[in-house]
Amino acid sequence: MGIDLIFKIAAIGILVSVLNQVLIRSGREEQAMMTTLAGLVVVLLMVVKEIVSLFNTIKAMFNF
Amino acid sequence: MFFKIIGSIIILLSSSFLGFILSKDCSMRPQQLRELQGLLQMLENEISYMANLLTDAFYKMHEVRKNEISLIFKQAADYLTADTGLNASEAWERALKENIKKTALNEEDEKILISFGKMLGKSDVEGQLKNIKLAMKQLEIQEKKAEESKAKNEAMYKRLGVLCGLALIIILV
Repeated sequence: MGIDLIFKIAAIGILVSVLNQVLIRSGREEQAMMTTLAGLVVVLLMVVKEIVSLFNTIKAMFNF
Repeated sequence: MFFKIIGSIIILLSSSFLGFILSKDCSMRPQQLRELQGLLQMLENEISYMANLLTDAFYKMHEVRKNEISLIFKQAADYLTADTGLNASEAWERALKENIKKTALNEEDEKILISFGKMLGKSDVEGQLKNIKLAMKQLEIQEKKAEESKAKNEAMYKRLGVLCGLALIIILV
């Protein structure tokens, strides 16, 4: 973990929102939707490692 | 760290360049379609008024306007004068297929031009003129469509190129 991950996710969020605006302006709602979804998936893939470590910590805490 | 920065700059430059090329293609197409219509108009005059040979007319068109579009006509005339045994429509089709990649025209325009070439040199003056008029009318419709898509896509491709490059860099770093 680190502050890097948060910055990275924030940057992806900004970029995806700008891309969304550009695509909607030129009348391509479907592609705009797809880019939003792609951004979401990329961020989830980044975060999934951290979620796993969180679960492992909780498991260790309650001695499962 | 150093390599990462260099790599990011390369990715950003190449993706912006790609977007720029696509938007340039978008803005070139209506212009080239107009050019093509002008050349066909000229061909019509050459046939109806001057009654020139097809090769002479093609060479003259290339003389007047030297660009990617008139290169097709020149190439076709070259095939006709060289001893290749091709007839007018075959020479036109071959010249078209070789030169269409250098222009911004798409497959639909190519199909119109091929069907224009099919009739080339196969009827009397009246038929030829009608054929040219038909091709011009179809090209005019294509030009309108191209103009619409230019207004829609030109700015978008530029922005999309830069933004996609940035997204790639962020994901990869």
